[in-house]
Amino acid sequence: MVNLILNALSVAPMLKPALTLDHGAAKGENFASQFLDVLKQSETAAISGMQGQMPMQDVVMKVMEAERVFATAMAVRDKAVSAYLEMSRMQI
Amino acid sequence: MDPLSLANQTAFSGLFAQSLRMKVVAENIANAESTGSTPGADAYRRRTVSFTRAMNDVAGGVTAQTGIDMSSFDTKFMPSHKAADKNGYVKMPNVNSIVEMTDMRQALRSYEANLQVIRQNREMGNGLIDLLRQGG
Repeated sequence: MVNLILNALSVAPMLKPALTLDHGAAKGENFASQFLDVLKQSETAAISGMQGQMPMQDVVMKVMEAERVFATAMAVRDKAVSAYLEMSRMQI
Repeated sequence: MDPLSLANQTAFSGLFAQSLRMKVVAENIANAESTGSTPGADAYRRRTVSFTRAMNDVAGGVTAQTGIDMSSFDTKFMPSHKAADKNGYVKMPNVNSIVEMTDMRQALRSYEANLQVIRQNREMGNGLIDLLRQGG
C-alpha cells in the first residue's frame, strides 16, 4: 500500500518540485517521505494494537493522524496534477 | 506544531486517563467482597485515581495515577470464614458500590466529552483540507 501511494505521489517527474515542499529541515525531508513516515507509524500502531501491546486510544490517534495526513497529501497531489494538466492544455 | 493535532493529542490523553479510571472502578467493583485469606488479614483496599496535568508535554494533556484508599475496613461477623479473627469478625473491603457507580458514570461522561472534542477537531481539520480541494 505504501508503495502504491509513493507511485501515486510521484505521478510525473515534472511534479517533483511541487511535491518536494522542503521545510528547510536539515534532514532534507520532503513532503512524500514525511507522509510515508506517518503512514508507516500508523501501520505499526495498528499491528501492535491488534496484538494488544498498545492502548486502543494510541492506535486510533495514530490512524486518525495518518488519515488526516493522507487527505492533505491527496489534496496537494490533486492540486499538482491539475496544474500539470492545465499546462498541457496550454495553447502553443 | 499544529494546534489542531495538539488538541487531538490532548483529547486522546483524556480518553486514556478516563479508561484508566474505568479500569480502577472495574477493579474495585470486582473486588468489592475480596477478603484476606488468613485469619485477621486485611481485605482488599479500594484503589483511587487522581489526575494531573502532563507538564513535560507540549500538548498539555492529562495523566492519571492510581493510589490506595487507606480508610478503615468494615467488619462482618462470620465466624466460619477463613479470614475471621479470634472474635469471629472478618474485615470487608472499603469499597462503596454507590461511590463506584458514581465514579463510573463520571468516567463515562468525561470520556464522551473528550470524544466530542476529537469529533469537532476532525471537522475543523477537514474543513481546512476542503479549502485545498475546492477552487481547483
